[in-house]
Amino acid sequence: KKKMKNLTLVVMLLCYSFASSSGDTTIHTNNWAVLVCTSRFWFNYRHMANTLSLYRTVKRLGIPDERIILMLADDMACNSRNQYPAQVFNNENHQINLYGDNVEVDYRGYEVTVENFLRVLTGRHENAVPRSKRLLSDEGSHILLYMTGHGGDEFLKFQDAEELQSHDLADAVKQMKEKRRFKELLIMVDTCQAATLFNQLQSPGVLAIGSSLKGENSYSHHLDSDIGVSVVDRFTYYTLAFFERLNIYDNASLNRSYDPRQLMSTAYYRTDLYQPHLSEVPVTNFFGSVMETVHTDSAYHAFSNRISNSKIKSDTPFNQLSEQDVKEDLRNTHNQNDELKTEKQKCPYSEMRADLHEKLKKIENVDTMVNLSIAVMILVVMVSSSLL
Amino acid sequence: MEETSDHPNPTTDTPGTTPEPDLKTMRSSKPGLKRLLITTTVLFSFLSGLPFLWKSVEIYRSQLPFHDIDSLSDQVKSAPLRFPCTFHAVFVGFGSNDPDQLRSEIQDGVNQLTGESSQCGSCNVSISVTVQSPDELCSETFPSTCSYRCGVIKRDSFGRGLDDAVDESLDDVFSGCSGGIGKMYSVVVVNKENGDEVKAVVGKRRHAWIVGSGLEERFGEVVGRVSEVFVKVFMNGGREEGDSIRGEFMPVGSDGRLVLSFSLLNSNPRDWIYDWDFQRIDEALLAPVTKALAPIANISVESQVLYHTPKSSFSSWDEKLQSYIFRTSDLPFFVNSNEWHLDTSAGASGRSKILQFVVYIPSGKECPLHLQLPNEEISKTNGFISPMWGGVIVWNPRSCDKDSESPSTNTISPQDLEKIVEVFLGQFRQLFGFKSEATYTRELGSYKILPSERGFTKWELDVLSRKHTCFNLHSCATTLGSLSRLVQSLPRMIIKDEIGEQVKYSLKAAKLAQSNASLGGYSSSASSSREARSLAENAFFHPSIMSVSYFSYEHCFAVYSPFFLPVAGHVVLAALREWRRYKQEKAKYLTWLTRKQAA
Repeated sequence: KKKMKNLTLVVMLLCYSFASSSGDTTIHTNNWAVLVCTSRFWFNYRHMANTLSLYRTVKRLGIPDERIILMLADDMACNSRNQYPAQVFNNENHQINLYGDNVEVDYRGYEVTVENFLRVLTGRHENAVPRSKRLLSDEGSHILLYMTGHGGDEFLKFQDAEELQSHDLADAVKQMKEKRRFKELLIMVDTCQAATLFNQLQSPGVLAIGSSLKGENSYSHHLDSDIGVSVVDRFTYYTLAFFERLNIYDNASLNRSYDPRQLMSTAYYRTDLYQPHLSEVPVTNFFGSVMETVHTDSAYHAFSNRISNSKIKSDTPFNQLSEQDVKEDLRNTHNQNDELKTEKQKCPYSEMRADLHEKLKKIENVDTMVNLSIAVMILVVMVSSSLL
Repeated sequence: MEETSDHPNPTTDTPGTTPEPDLKTMRSSKPGLKRLLITTTVLFSFLSGLPFLWKSVEIYRSQLPFHDIDSLSDQVKSAPLRFPCTFHAVFVGFGSNDPDQLRSEIQDGVNQLTGESSQCGSCNVSISVTVQSPDELCSETFPSTCSYRCGVIKRDSFGRGLDDAVDESLDDVFSGCSGGIGKMYSVVVVNKENGDEVKAVVGKRRHAWIVGSGLEERFGEVVGRVSEVFVKVFMNGGREEGDSIRGEFMPVGSDGRLVLSFSLLNSNPRDWIYDWDFQRIDEALLAPVTKALAPIANISVESQVLYHTPKSSFSSWDEKLQSYIFRTSDLPFFVNSNEWHLDTSAGASGRSKILQFVVYIPSGKECPLHLQLPNEEISKTNGFISPMWGGVIVWNPRSCDKDSESPSTNTISPQDLEKIVEVFLGQFRQLFGFKSEATYTRELGSYKILPSERGFTKWELDVLSRKHTCFNLHSCATTLGSLSRLVQSLPRMIIKDEIGEQVKYSLKAAKLAQSNASLGGYSSSASSSREARSLAENAFFHPSIMSVSYFSYEHCFAVYSPFFLPVAGHVVLAALREWRRYKQEKAKYLTWLTRKQAA
């Protein structure tokens, strides 16, 4: 009987420890999008059009520029071969100019490298990199990562010069998960043999969608005879067709099936690392701007028992308050100095300098004092030179 | 490659005594060692230089203290940090009670309310009780931690006047008490003679009081309320879940900084334009709050005024309330991220946390604009927050009539600004997990909570310090653990000295935080733990830890083999050949010797 009791206790303890360690109920705080176009040159027009179309969709559904990282080679719109300068289209009917409105490209031209891409994902930037170029997600963020370009078996080609391997990507995702930089991650890749790029992924919370399987190519949708190159890829085209019908209030789910005959390849979903079922995942999980909002029930009436005008206009109540604070802080620090360890050594020279600094700060009108001292100096010089 | 060996002139051998030496198998002189010595010396010098070569191409890895990192992780996980707190209860006007018995009853009450779980950040409680009888004689529990001068609190005159004044007077009473470790929280229970209702107030510092008449009879209830004040208010800060540390209510950046970014949004400047004197309210009202939170986060404040910023949700006209209404279901769509360019901070570095506080002035077409709650009431604050993002307050101008000609430029009056700052303080506290109600209701009764001009009362700051210390230490330990796992999994990656130093200082700061916590210094442990976390994050996010740029063995081999392989091949071959030749010549000499001896 005692053994049974011990056993049940052990089982309960195990269950409790398991539950408390895996019960990670962080709330969904915001959505981020990292959109990468890995090709350059005129004949890869469609890759830049893909990325810009997705950028436009994601902005329309609510994600702001400050939460989008757009990496483009950006050499299409002002290319000398472009018949329509400063305009980029994704359809031969030229209805939407993707480059027309606010387009904020974070990494352009030769800055789109494997190293910068991995730095964005893992967050390891130099100190001087501005906030707009960093992925500032937290543990409640849902991130959409879209990549398009030329790819192959377990690699993706970056700007015709280097390649991103599937183990590099898996490693970066693993480090992101360890540092809790995302809650859920959706990776969409539109290249040839896209599904092979996900082979090494292991981290939980990742959903991956690729446009073709190993051995298959991903094809472009149509050729624009006016511009002279293909303007969009099939996978992205059908994805955008789905999103054009949505607005920010919609509740559609991500469970979208692509027709292999239209795509001319098989779209691949990797869902084993992603817990919720696809049909229960709303599109706004990744593609919209969702804010958890809580109403503020009451204000903090800290000032209602004082006369409101005097608080802001005159300075004396504030000074009194601050003096009291200073006294109290001093008292506290005196009390704690004996017990707690402090690291400072008192240097007499620096103390003297600090005193002098304090005295100088208290002088009201520094300008007149400076003028006065200059006059005194001139006087001294004149007197001494006349004496000589 | 010829065989050059000394062999005597075959025509000059002495006839008869020795047989003719066969040059292929014998030699008459001992073979010399010079050639062998030369080749083996060259080979030996190559071999002896090999360790130096190996050392010079070694990947520079600063030694990280893996053992210390693991022990910190274990400590943080297994032994949750508990802070020493002293609870002191003073019963005034109670004639017939024994302080030791009271102490054990309060201890039971406290244990019942805290349960058996010891969460990180909770208190190691030590309770002391003082009883003052109606004729001003005191008795207290044995280890008297506080020198409460008997008779200072007068039974009849206590509690008269404003609550603020009572709070100040209590501070004077207990100001001499600095004994014991940790901070001392006190509750004064005054049993008056004449019939007053029971009133319970929690002050701005670390005192609370319960005043009423006939308390001696309702004794169990009084003890229960005292335990409730100790546990629910002073230990847990009035928050419901005193349990798991939730990261979404700790909006402090990983470098220990927090930027409060205030924006005044004129949604349609063609109707009216509003401006504010932010400098004054920053100096007068926000500076105390910033200073009070200094151990928790390094806070800086910035502000801007924006124009042409409509919201993206819709509102409808309500005839009964005579105003435009938006509902709580519209709140997630209120912030119009495309037109509101809020994140323009130039002062915030990459790892600081920015909280946006927006004051939205609606346009003439939607004036006045009020928020309607699901229970059909109108919100008193007209504001909402989003955790880890910030808050929005909708402020309606005094009058909604606009001059038809030109838009009027106005400044928000100081009184209105003060009200806005009060709502902002409510939102700021909400982002840190605190409620701002004036009364706190529990099962045994309600308590009036006095607000402080610093935004947070002293006991709330203590709760924040404790929780943040826990969170920061936990985050520091996990970050250092991830770093050590990463470094150990890539044995050929360069680890710079800077990273090693940061890890060392981070561990030192974490130890300091733990020791300060056990000594009871809440704010000093909070600031040390913040430093530990920021150093750990700096080490983990150091830009040189990129897996793309480390030198694999193949790379090393490919670089050095063209230099050394051809030469090394020749040297080794030459040495081997000389060795073989020496052995052959030695054998030849030995056979000649034996032949000679046989002859």
